[in-house]
Amino acid sequence: MKFQVINKYVGVLAVAAIAFTSCKRDPNDTGWEFAPNMYRSVGYEAYKQVEKHPINPMGLNMREPVNGTVARQHYTNVGGRDFGGGDSTAAVNSNSTTMEGSTDLMVYNIPKDSIRTAERVLKNPVPLNEKTLAEGKVLFERYCQHCHGAEGEGNGPVAEVYKGVPNYKAANFQDMNDGHIFHVITHGWGRMWPHKSQVTPEERWEIVHYVQQLKKGS
Amino acid sequence: MYKQIKKISLFGRKISVRTSLFTLLVALLVGLTQVSAQDAAAPADGAASGAAADAGGGASGDAAKGEALFKNNCAACHAVTAEKSVGPGLKGITQRRDFDWLVKWIHNSQAVIASGDPYAVKLYNEYNQAQMTPFPNLSEDDIRGILAYIEQANAAPAAGAAPAAGAAAGGAAGGATVQSGAPSDLFVLVLVALLVVMLLVLGVLLVIVTILSKAVSGDTTTPEGEKVNFADRLKRNLLTAANNPAIRSATIWVFILLVAKATIDGTYSIGIQQGYAPKQPIAFSHKLHAGEYAIDCNYCHTGVNRSKSAHIPSANICMNCHGVIKNESPEIQKIYAAIENNQPIEWVRVHNLPDFAYFNHSQHVNVAGLECQQCHGEIQQMEVVEQRSSLTMGWCIDCHRKTDVNTKGNAYYDNLVQLHDKYSEGTLKVSDIGGLECSKCHY
Repeated sequence: MKFQVINKYVGVLAVAAIAFTSCKRDPNDTGWEFAPNMYRSVGYEAYKQVEKHPINPMGLNMREPVNGTVARQHYTNVGGRDFGGGDSTAAVNSNSTTMEGSTDLMVYNIPKDSIRTAERVLKNPVPLNEKTLAEGKVLFERYCQHCHGAEGEGNGPVAEVYKGVPNYKAANFQDMNDGHIFHVITHGWGRMWPHKSQVTPEERWEIVHYVQQLKKGS
Repeated sequence: MYKQIKKISLFGRKISVRTSLFTLLVALLVGLTQVSAQDAAAPADGAASGAAADAGGGASGDAAKGEALFKNNCAACHAVTAEKSVGPGLKGITQRRDFDWLVKWIHNSQAVIASGDPYAVKLYNEYNQAQMTPFPNLSEDDIRGILAYIEQANAAPAAGAAPAAGAAAGGAAGGATVQSGAPSDLFVLVLVALLVVMLLVLGVLLVIVTILSKAVSGDTTTPEGEKVNFADRLKRNLLTAANNPAIRSATIWVFILLVAKATIDGTYSIGIQQGYAPKQPIAFSHKLHAGEYAIDCNYCHTGVNRSKSAHIPSANICMNCHGVIKNESPEIQKIYAAIENNQPIEWVRVHNLPDFAYFNHSQHVNVAGLECQQCHGEIQQMEVVEQRSSLTMGWCIDCHRKTDVNTKGNAYYDNLVQLHDKYSEGTLKVSDIGGLECSKCHY
């Protein structure tokens, strides 16, 4: 009798203890929202999908651009200071001081297997100076370093598991020109996959400058 | 020596001392001869390997030069051992192929394949038709050096293999015992801790029991002398307590205050998703990719410097690596399935800023030069991404009040800084350029 009563109290205490300590929000729960119609966008936002889109394929808010669409910053040869940024159509009229005779707006359409054409035809339209080199370094650190290593020696942390990452300083790489490097970043080469969706042409040319510097080992 | 004899005689009491002495002598002799044999063998091995190295170095090529060449040109795709990486392992390559063939292959492997050489074609197909970079500028001497280095690299570990293997085995055995010991140690510790906790609980329970049983067995009679059971007495005491106005009002106040606090806390957490860490459709680990492999945030979140959104990478960026590695993992298979079926991967958005607040990544990352971690926490240590900051307006404003504008190298701010220095004190904060204006974020 005594023990039954005691058990009852202990039971109540235990339940209370569990109830007070176990109230933790589920990590999958966003919690309460006040007035969701103010929190959620009325317009369709590309990276926020609350409910299915009624018209688009697969209910996505995002749509793929029309076939053949080229983003403005994806022209390769745009002269002068307007390169890559802003209104690329203005570049035709801008007095090109940095590039000689290449004010044509060209979409990079040299196919993957024509690397020799790229080597022959392409010239780096971005002038080599301290600024572009510094920008090239920053971009190299963002997009290349984890495989190619800080010094381009093919010893980045990813390269250890990925395998087959070359050393820029090898004799074999010394005669590779700008066009070759640009083509490789765009379309990939060997085990490397194309990076054209991540790096704009202007950025690629800046990376080319930096890679050329790494190659010389200075 | 005497002790040993004693020991032996102790082990077998029936064996006479003479026989035991004899066995001991024999054992010693055998041991000595073994030692001397080993001593003799060691220099012989050394001489052999030295001779091999000499032969490799003198006759065919400079191994030291070959090592440098190998590390620069070949190591990315070939191992000196028999291990396959991108290309075949090069152990014993000189036995497999003759020198002239190797030179032709290294100078231009595609030409050898095109000539229809059956070995070359087989090799090419075996390694998924991966083209080997041609190395026309490696001279025959260079190639001899590389081959000498490969032979030397394979000979050196072989000579030192026996003791190394022994040590490794010993180490492995030691490691095994340690490993098998470690979890059981932990287990014992946990058990002991549990036991201690249980004993404590038992003690407390015993104390409670004694107190309660005292209460029950002590004064069990009313002033009238009747026997009353525990429940009745409790009821009576509770009634007296409830009728006491001081106790009653104190209880009510405590209750009201607790409810008020819970309500206020609850309302403050409305719309705040701090700690939200949803399960994603693919178990992607930022800890592995951004932490261990040090892949820059920008590599996948390409929009972070250019646009309002940081961008969730599309599957083609995953494929930049996973087109080649880890493709057998079930999680990676999900990406393949998504690409093949042209189905989007339904990642769950973690940071949900309400629509009435404008936020732009490029403004904060590119212009202000903030680190991702300042708002997102230690992403490179998160297995599952979690919302670390509260993302409340107070949190935004607080930072805008404290942070200096990143004016360095940005001509846009030159005049502003001049004016600010002329008319105001302190550095130019974000709040000074409208970081607290309502319409900057709410419009």
